[in-house]
Amino acid sequence: MTHTDEIPTPPRNLPDVCVRCATCMAVCPVSRVTPRFPGPKQAGPGAQRFRSASEASVDDWIELCTACRLCDTVCPTGVPISELNLMAKAKYLDERGRTFRDWLLVRSDLFGEWASRFSRIVNPLMKNRTIRWLLDKVLEIDRRRALPEYETPTFREWFSTRPAASEAAGRPRIAYFHGCFTNTNEVDVGKASVALLEAHGFSVIIPPQRCCGIPRLGVGDLRGAREMGLRNLSLLLPTVREGTDIVFSSTSCGLMLRHEYGPLLNLPGAEELAKRLFDICELLLRLREEGKQAVQFRPLPMRAAYFAPCHMKSLNIGLPALELLRCVPGLDIRLIEAECCGLGGLYGFKKEKYAITEEIGRDLAKEVARIDPEVILTDCEGCRMQIRQLTRRKVLHPVQLLRFSIDTHDKGERPLVRRQ
Amino acid sequence: MKRWDLIVIGTGLAGLTAARTAIEMGAKVLIIGRGMGSVTLFGNTIDVLGCIPPETDMEEGITRWIATNPHHPYARTGWAGIAESLSAFRGLFPPPYTFDTVGSGNSLVPTGAGTLRPTYLLPVTMTAGAGISEADTLIVGLKGFKDFQSDTVSLHLQCRGVNLSLPRYGLEGLTAIALARLMDEEPFRERLGEAIRHQMAGEKRIGLPAILGFRAPADVLKTLETVTGARVFEIPMLPPSIPGLRIFHRYREILIAKGATFLMGNPVTAAELKDGRCAGITVHNPPLSTVYRAESYVLATGRFLGGGLWADMERIAEPLFHLPIFQPESRGLWFRERFFQPEAHPIHRAGIVTDEYLRPVDAEGEVILKNVRAAGSILAHHQAIEEHSREGIDIATGDLAARRSLAS
Repeated sequence: MTHTDEIPTPPRNLPDVCVRCATCMAVCPVSRVTPRFPGPKQAGPGAQRFRSASEASVDDWIELCTACRLCDTVCPTGVPISELNLMAKAKYLDERGRTFRDWLLVRSDLFGEWASRFSRIVNPLMKNRTIRWLLDKVLEIDRRRALPEYETPTFREWFSTRPAASEAAGRPRIAYFHGCFTNTNEVDVGKASVALLEAHGFSVIIPPQRCCGIPRLGVGDLRGAREMGLRNLSLLLPTVREGTDIVFSSTSCGLMLRHEYGPLLNLPGAEELAKRLFDICELLLRLREEGKQAVQFRPLPMRAAYFAPCHMKSLNIGLPALELLRCVPGLDIRLIEAECCGLGGLYGFKKEKYAITEEIGRDLAKEVARIDPEVILTDCEGCRMQIRQLTRRKVLHPVQLLRFSIDTHDKGERPLVRRQ
Repeated sequence: MKRWDLIVIGTGLAGLTAARTAIEMGAKVLIIGRGMGSVTLFGNTIDVLGCIPPETDMEEGITRWIATNPHHPYARTGWAGIAESLSAFRGLFPPPYTFDTVGSGNSLVPTGAGTLRPTYLLPVTMTAGAGISEADTLIVGLKGFKDFQSDTVSLHLQCRGVNLSLPRYGLEGLTAIALARLMDEEPFRERLGEAIRHQMAGEKRIGLPAILGFRAPADVLKTLETVTGARVFEIPMLPPSIPGLRIFHRYREILIAKGATFLMGNPVTAAELKDGRCAGITVHNPPLSTVYRAESYVLATGRFLGGGLWADMERIAEPLFHLPIFQPESRGLWFRERFFQPEAHPIHRAGIVTDEYLRPVDAEGEVILKNVRAAGSILAHHQAIEEHSREGIDIATGDLAARRSLAS
């Protein structure tokens, strides 16, 4: 794979490119479970023809789009459907105003480090029934949704205090964009990523970084997303300019950095970053295919199921994690045939939308029950949260299992625990 | 850099079949679709040559057809190629959800417009619709489901039609996709079966819109037949096609399971040509353009809807490799005088002319790109709409293109 410089210009923002074929209706997870959302054909190009910048928004169902972007991946004429939805949602919410809940949820990066430090107090509080009832009644954060636990120390703290084996002389450097969730809620994903990258001969550096900004897009806050993007670009571009590639383990952060900073938000330097930015499994698979490394995977005789996140489909790089997992001897790896987990990021925490996310997730849960795997693997933390809640099974990032299959001292979280 | 054995451009039935044949032959395959492909729009049954009379044996019919249409895509594959590729297609669908013929030739099945359409292979959920008669059939629609009008269908088929409502389920405004998903649930389809049974007046067959589920359509059929005591069949209707999605999902499942890389959602925007060969193609996912390389390429991008052919005010072009297109001499000759008439519009014959190995050729018959083959409806000299041959051409030429690619 090489990225070339030539940039053709497919038609963008043009609802009239839509031929009304309804292919998008075949994959929309929301209109599949509720008639309250008219589906991408109607909500995107259909309604766009009637929207005007000078008139007030009337389409209150636009908030029901989860921004999974599956519609974009199937459209035969290249209509940027999810972008039309996003713009309409932004206008609608700019006019109506956003709730305090939405303001708070998209700033979880700001209180995450604090919550992590006091995780022993915060975690029990988040499970407390009275507090959940209050969050449900006052903030409308659905009490049925399991809230992610915070971990102490954070990934960054762990990384900065570990012995400096990482900066071994002569090793190629690789930078790691861990994202907020890995830093404060799933530290083991970061540890596994570092272990895998080091086993593949890299010296890992963790550049300063902020929230990628995708939660703000979720509430149509384009200005907020731009701010996050500009900050990240100023933090990450120096790394890229010194010739170091950056990998990410969170699919949605990666999609935001790689494909939304440039085409959607039009941020300077976005393309320069995108060309040096890779999904961690995409990078490891490429090294393997090019014969550039000789890391042997140890046998892991177990049954696992892999779920491809919607945003992995949008990255459009195939399923590198699945292909890597197939290189592990003895691992019986199946693909979960379901379109979407249903969570939609913060969408799934909102009381008025919880039922929709649960209904979408039922299809996936049925597939999991059919496969009956010992462990479920998926790249996106949102999908992992949702699948844990739906199935009560062990759900890991693929790197957490792959790390187990190479000889490292850090064994991390055991993949063989059957049920949580 | 990774090199594939075969890159297939297009995720319609022709591209999917080419990829599947190649992967079964052990090749490293990359398949790229700009979108999901037309099988999810129109795919229902497998037409092979519906324009020959129903009583004609298909092998005989095709053999005669090839003799009188020596430039037709079927002339490249022959009956043997068609039969073999159709058999491989049927192998994708083991019992209970199988594709079969009714007799040895075409059969007539009802459509959502209330017409009868000739076709060759039918999914098991449609076989009971072949050869219906007015007295023994009840057409069932659902209130609030706009894509299927049971009164229109029943009026044209001259049988009885009813519109059901299941108030407890709140079906108003649901799409075909949502209904098909509900059908996967046993209690729902039992309830629907009961409601149908109450409407029956001695009919022996029940026609429903094609919404009999995604996961186990044969089970849905069985429940409905058990509850109603009649034979049940589904009727193809407006896109997206649920039976077509079943075909697409099955191909995608098998391709990924066998190690093919499946890319979807971005167009192939450029081809790198060198020494009469294609050296690589570019997929554009803004802001990135990525080059992929293979030994051989199959172009299965369809006609105008799929984006394989483009037409401006004067001429028709193939946008990726800029291959010459067989077409009427001027725009004035594209269409006949009236839209609906038995003879095909000349524009329908437009497409890529190839040699016997499906390699595109120029006006002198010289091969243009040694490692590129064309498959499916982008080929010239067929009129898939009038011939009712779309799926047959896709499957037979997709299969042949992959075989020829790997043989060279």
